[in-house]
Amino acid sequence: MSEAIKKKSAIQSMDLSGVQVDASGAVRKMEGVKNTIFAPGVNDLGNLYFLEVDHTLCQGCGECAHHCPTGAIQETEDGTRSIVDPAACMNCGQCLTHCPYGAVTERVSYVSEVFEKLKDPDTVVVTMTAPAVRYALGECFGMPMGTYVGGKVHSVLRRLGFDYIWDNEWTADVTIMEEGTELLERVTQGGKGDKPLPQFTSCCPGWIKFCESFYPDLIPHLSTCRSPVAMLGPLAKTYGAEQTGKDPKKIYTVSIMPCIAKKYEGLRPEMNASGQRDIDATINTRELAYMIKKAGIPFTSLPDEEPDPILGMSTGAATLFGTSGGVMEAALRFAYEAISGKTLVDPSIKAVRTGKGINKVEVEVPGFGPVRIAVVSGLQNAAKLCEEVRAGTSNLHFIEVMTCPGGCVNGGGQPMDDSILEASLFKKMMARVNKRFTLRKVA
Amino acid sequence: MKKGRWDLSRRSFIKVAGLSCGYALVGARMARESVAAVLDLVGLRQQSVYGADANPKIYALRKSQENPMVKKLYAKDGFLAEGPCGHHSHTLLHTHYKDKSMFIKALKKKGIELAM
Ligand code: SF4
Ligand code: SF4
Repeated sequence: MSEAIKKKSAIQSMDLSGVQVDASGAVRKMEGVKNTIFAPGVNDLGNLYFLEVDHTLCQGCGECAHHCPTGAIQETEDGTRSIVDPAACMNCGQCLTHCPYGAVTERVSYVSEVFEKLKDPDTVVVTMTAPAVRYALGECFGMPMGTYVGGKVHSVLRRLGFDYIWDNEWTADVTIMEEGTELLERVTQGGKGDKPLPQFTSCCPGWIKFCESFYPDLIPHLSTCRSPVAMLGPLAKTYGAEQTGKDPKKIYTVSIMPCIAKKYEGLRPEMNASGQRDIDATINTRELAYMIKKAGIPFTSLPDEEPDPILGMSTGAATLFGTSGGVMEAALRFAYEAISGKTLVDPSIKAVRTGKGINKVEVEVPGFGPVRIAVVSGLQNAAKLCEEVRAGTSNLHFIEVMTCPGGCVNGGGQPMDDSILEASLFKKMMARVNKRFTLRKVA
Repeated sequence: MKKGRWDLSRRSFIKVAGLSCGYALVGARMARESVAAVLDLVGLRQQSVYGADANPKIYALRKSQENPMVKKLYAKDGFLAEGPCGHHSHTLLHTHYKDKSMFIKALKKKGIELAM
């Protein structure tokens, strides 16, 4: 098995020697978003800004603040906006994706480091791609909004020279086994002691930081499961190393995400379960598009390929992690069968798919009764449920929280088409008019 | 996949909405009213997720517990032979969290107001 995989990737990878790697500190536009080449390590996390407002571009419209769940992005003296402190920012990037002027910029990009590792024949570079990436990357290459490009994602990563195409969808399936089992344990124990009910999902790093910062008393309610990528990192360097016969010290894991907060997660000090850093680099969908374009790979004409199965094969349940409600549906597909011992005939549990904001549903499970769940996206909405849990008035078993409205498909690292923004002279004129109206004069 | 008028992404849509809403003395502010429509655009990506899940050509299986590579991981002679939430799982796949509220308290002490 491992031999076959090795051959496959060796044949198809392309020559990157001609690719000019951007120097550290360089500022590059990636899919319309300004980004700084900078590859911090765990020790830099303390006061690290993952996002920053470019004050020369900010028009003071306040759209960012309107979407910020914590109020971290605030008006400054001159009317432009600024993130007050990294501690207040959950790194969700909703301010960035909603800024009509492209003024919110990214401050952390591992793109150059990843290129260097890909060029180094001694490093075993592996991918860890999130579900939501495959529903948005196509947009960077002119494909219609939402086009599924999963097969092309695997094949483009192979051509970029990644040695193993491993995938967070595989660990999303593993997450369901772990988190579902944890939920059953909590339910069996009646939610007593240090394992209270409801259980909250733990795959979204924006939500985790939010809970730790604003609802620390609810930490025991958080599933102890790492997120899918934080499971794949350590599994890649232990199980993956074992299966492929590679030296774990030579394995370099690249988390590919629809997200900015995942860069923060990758740097969390405890992410070293494998005995090394579990996640060596994190890039997002826009940065992957940048790399593909830089390498000159014609994305849309690529064939569809499979991931390398051992740490890559996945099910439909796993891909649902990309959308709000999806983790819950995947978990219910497991819990239903585990609790009742019966086969769930129709895996589509549509009741958990509807609704905006907060969606509370009861799902009848034979031999148990109603499983009471809630699905919520947007941290302002999550806060309402947190208040209920804190007050002890919640009778729920399981709550799924995603920071980005609608889930990771709408993540802060996903592409936006700013062609209109760029092209319209009219807009530039309007921007000047607006600036006069919205910015205060600095004395 | 629906095409045509919805074949737009968020930022373009915000601009179209902003511009067509009249000569925007308030340009970007208009975008706020288009938030619902932006969520519809996100809905296209969501629809595509549900479409892939239900498409046997993309995903032959739809339940995590049926994934052969997951079964292999947890098999009796597998890497996580104790099964989900076993000892080895706990060291590798589970974690702990840290109270970070002191950082928020410190900001508030400095007079910084937050939404929470
Ligand atoms: S990244 Fe999220 S939390 Fe941070 S300032 Fe922007 S909107 Fe607010
Ligand atoms: S919802 Fe998804 S994209 Fe958004 S912060 Fe959470 S993990 Fe990242």
